[in-house]
Amino acid sequence: MAETMEATERDLMAQTLRRLAEQFDGEPLSKALADFGFGQLLEEAPREAVSALFDALGRAGSMSAELHDVLLQPLTGLLNGATEAHCVVLPRIGAAVSGSLDGGTVTLRGLVIGRRPTTVFLAPVTAGHDTAWVSVADSPELTKRDVAGLDPALTVTDLSAMGVAATVVAQGEQASILWRAAATAGRRALGYHIVGAVGAMIDLAVEHACHRVQFGHSIGSFQAVRNRLAEAHVARTAAAAALELAWEADDEYLAGMLAKSLAGRAARITATHCQQVLAGIGFTAEHPFHRYLARALVLDSLLGSTTELRRAIGRQLVSAGTIPRLVEL
Amino acid sequence: MQVRDFRAGVRDWIDARGDEIVAALGDDSVDAQLDHQRRVQRMLFDAGWMRWGWATRLGGFGGSPIFRAVLGEELTGRALVHTASWSMHEVLGPAAAEFGQPELIEEIFPRLLRGDEFWCQGFSEPEAGSDLGSLRTTGRQQDDGWLINGEKLWTSFAQHATRCVVLARTGEPGSRGISAFLVDMDTPGVTASPLRTMADVDEFCSTSFIDVQVPAHRLLGEINGGWRIAQYILSCERGPIFWQRGAWLGHHLGMLLGAAHDAASQTTLGEAYEMLWAFRAQSKATQDRIALGDLPGPEASVDKVLIAAADQAVFDAARELLSGVIEVDDTPRGLAWRREWAYSRAATIYGGTSEIQKDIIATRLLGLPRSA
Repeated sequence: MAETMEATERDLMAQTLRRLAEQFDGEPLSKALADFGFGQLLEEAPREAVSALFDALGRAGSMSAELHDVLLQPLTGLLNGATEAHCVVLPRIGAAVSGSLDGGTVTLRGLVIGRRPTTVFLAPVTAGHDTAWVSVADSPELTKRDVAGLDPALTVTDLSAMGVAATVVAQGEQASILWRAAATAGRRALGYHIVGAVGAMIDLAVEHACHRVQFGHSIGSFQAVRNRLAEAHVARTAAAAALELAWEADDEYLAGMLAKSLAGRAARITATHCQQVLAGIGFTAEHPFHRYLARALVLDSLLGSTTELRRAIGRQLVSAGTIPRLVEL
Repeated sequence: MQVRDFRAGVRDWIDARGDEIVAALGDDSVDAQLDHQRRVQRMLFDAGWMRWGWATRLGGFGGSPIFRAVLGEELTGRALVHTASWSMHEVLGPAAAEFGQPELIEEIFPRLLRGDEFWCQGFSEPEAGSDLGSLRTTGRQQDDGWLINGEKLWTSFAQHATRCVVLARTGEPGSRGISAFLVDMDTPGVTASPLRTMADVDEFCSTSFIDVQVPAHRLLGEINGGWRIAQYILSCERGPIFWQRGAWLGHHLGMLLGAAHDAASQTTLGEAYEMLWAFRAQSKATQDRIALGDLPGPEASVDKVLIAAADQAVFDAARELLSGVIEVDDTPRGLAWRREWAYSRAATIYGGTSEIQKDIIATRLLGLPRSA
């Protein structure tokens, strides 16, 4: 498979992934993706694979564990062979890393997104003033709590451990570069996932606005409703454009933060506006809207929320002392 | 010529000029601003940079509009010209070239590119803003041309303009009865009266047309075909003009870097940059499509909403980070920031309000039923 796939090939792949994401959820979806050869696809055409799968998950409202493979991609050189049994421990919401290394043992506090049979956990942690990547074998010493939270179907596990044995797989400058690369890969994937869910929310609200009649008119003909949905569309389009350029900008780390931040922004705007347009029916448990809302907002909080990323982006601009153009015509 | 070589060439050329092309920010009047622009434009024309991206029959060297976007970006990205005045040849040039009588256009276009001429846009009227299709200026056909009567409003730079693209009613009510004309501003009966903006600048005018005689060959396109030309002009705005405005915003955001000391101001800065990037990412795709020969359609309404939001985010950030400069600083620096901040307030209004864009998005892109 060439680095850039043919448009028809790409469309076909996206269609298949969308169908699988609609048909399956959780472990059966992971199995279907493995049969489809997603791992190889991710290796050969990461951009096409990530954009298609995570958009499909967002649209279908389903979940699988492939985020781990995306996060592990920058680390493959450090791991011997197969990564299927590896999971990445992401920092808890609001935290910068997933724990700390002290001597030969590690304290872990993090989140695992998506479940699969795991034998090894990999985590970015602090080691003094530096960053390190540690690998921790699964054991009864790890406390794992299945999180229900705002979005129970997201399959989040809160993982914590005090002073467990760990192997340092990367440290110093190398670990920090790898963490930035993994965070960027994760932000892109989460960005597509959010934008997919945002698209589903807009579709539900547009459908409703076209058919719901009040005061003798479809509510979609009222400017207040039209403006809300148009604003959601604008936010979604901007996030999608930023995600596209996150693969080609000359500072991928900055572009990854921007894309994730804009996806989170689209999630917030869309969740608010579409909820308002769907009104009473969108507030019921029976209507699917709330599941997309929860999905998008929880994903917004992972690997830096829009609010946190704006601060980080501003800080990077100030320290660089310039306003990067990131791409040229 | 490759775009990358063109960009490098323009940058080298600007660097080599040094003090010959000072920043336009210090200009304190529209007169000074336009004098400065004429001088810069003449130099760019003589050096050839101004001619890329325009057809040879117009006095250009050919190539896609990307060249014009890059030139605009390099100039406004260093504030060497003002975006508002630098965009007028971009707003009106492509439509005149497309719809104007060829002999006339080939004669006058090189003068527009060289900066010898400056054109303005006579669209809005006192009773026709967002509802442009209801305009009331009339064009009455005579033996040897047209007689135009009416009043135009918000005509930017009309008092300095050589020519004006005027929309006038020549047929039935609504958008199907409108024609477009290229009118000389020195024709008897044309009067441009400056209106001061809240930015304290005589940027736009109320322009009246009383029994203005316009020769037949000044009709652009077909009789009653003016709506198509108006759409074409608005569509062209999504090209190089937006791209260079983005660069102008980036330049101003860069001037705030030294003022973001604490977490709150860094967040404000980050958010403004995020909005600018949202625009730039979206506009990049639009510019690429234009380079392939596409004319932006309703999907480019998204670009307009985004650049207006970025514009206001950048200057809102300036007001916050420059603590007091916009409110109470009377030095030239304070005046310049105040002018730019005030101008940004109109970003959601000019060129089709954000509400009109959202209405287009709702109907054409989301498929909602038309407004009640």
